[in-house]
Amino acid sequence: MKVTLSILRFDPEKDEKPYRKDYEIDVDPSFRILDCLDKVKWDIDGGLAYRRSCSHGICGSDAMMINGKNMLACQVLVHDFKNKYIKIDPIPSLPIIKDLIVDMESFFAKYDVVKPYLIAKSQPPAKERYQSIEDRAVIDEAVNCILCGACSASCPSLWTNDSYLGPAAMLKAYRFVFDSRDDAANERLDVVDSPDGLWRCHTIFNCVEVCPKEINITWHLSQLKKKCAMREF
Amino acid sequence: MYKYQSSKNSGAKSWILQRITGLALVVLMLGHYILMHYSPDSGHTYEAVLTRMQFSWYRIIDLLFVTLAMYHGLNGLWGIFRDYKLAPWLRISIISVLVILGVAFTAWAYNIIFSIPYVHNIALLL
Repeated sequence: MKVTLSILRFDPEKDEKPYRKDYEIDVDPSFRILDCLDKVKWDIDGGLAYRRSCSHGICGSDAMMINGKNMLACQVLVHDFKNKYIKIDPIPSLPIIKDLIVDMESFFAKYDVVKPYLIAKSQPPAKERYQSIEDRAVIDEAVNCILCGACSASCPSLWTNDSYLGPAAMLKAYRFVFDSRDDAANERLDVVDSPDGLWRCHTIFNCVEVCPKEINITWHLSQLKKKCAMREF
Repeated sequence: MYKYQSSKNSGAKSWILQRITGLALVVLMLGHYILMHYSPDSGHTYEAVLTRMQFSWYRIIDLLFVTLAMYHGLNGLWGIFRDYKLAPWLRISIISVLVILGVAFTAWAYNIIFSIPYVHNIALLL
């Protein structure tokens, strides 16, 4: 079947501003959008730039905006789209490096702010720190985040204020604040409980809508809000 | 390079107060609409208002309504401004204007409510 990919192209060395270029390709309906991009790059235009790595929804490198919604190009098939004119843009709010590749530096800098690693102050046991099934269930969803950036790039609060930590970083904060083995909950809450942190989340649910791992990010952030509020009263 | 500006001012208090005042306003608004717009005998004439204001509990509810609505509205407005990346001078200017407006309007409303006289012979009004 014939499909037209309308891709936002931008090469900072040559172009003054991004422009849209259409590619008509012949594909199987079971092709993923990533396969379509590969076909364009390998058969038509080798200059097209996009990120890809595992191609199976695990690494999170191929997050892009497809028909106006952030998603992983390796997780959606051509037959998922009724209209075979498919618009592909880089995820918004981050600077474009080239074509569909965006600069994720600020995204990971924000991620780093919440200390995304276990801080256990007790002596490490001989083998490993055990966690009960019940305690693990509290962070079951949060640990599934693959850091693709689809959520943060879909958040209107982040579009208007690039200092805002964004949902991905704060979901990671939740993942450790509610981890029974972690001892630095207050340190992390001090970070997220600030004007550019949790309180810029207005429960818009864009992050939930686009998360390729179907994590209810807004719910997790509301748990952090409750935790912060309980510290105050 | 991104640098996170941490703040000692938690937004938690303001967040929870916004929710509490919001809930209270739902109840007060319902009461207001029922009393002022759906109750046929409530009336909006000077005499009708004067009659209602003879009851201190009604004045207390009005004062509460004004205070909560002012806090909720202006805090909500501040929240909208705060969603944008503002220069420190602009942030201070906006919060100052909002606080001044809030205090001024609340004082004005209090003044109006307190200036309504208590009539000794309430039977004359009823």
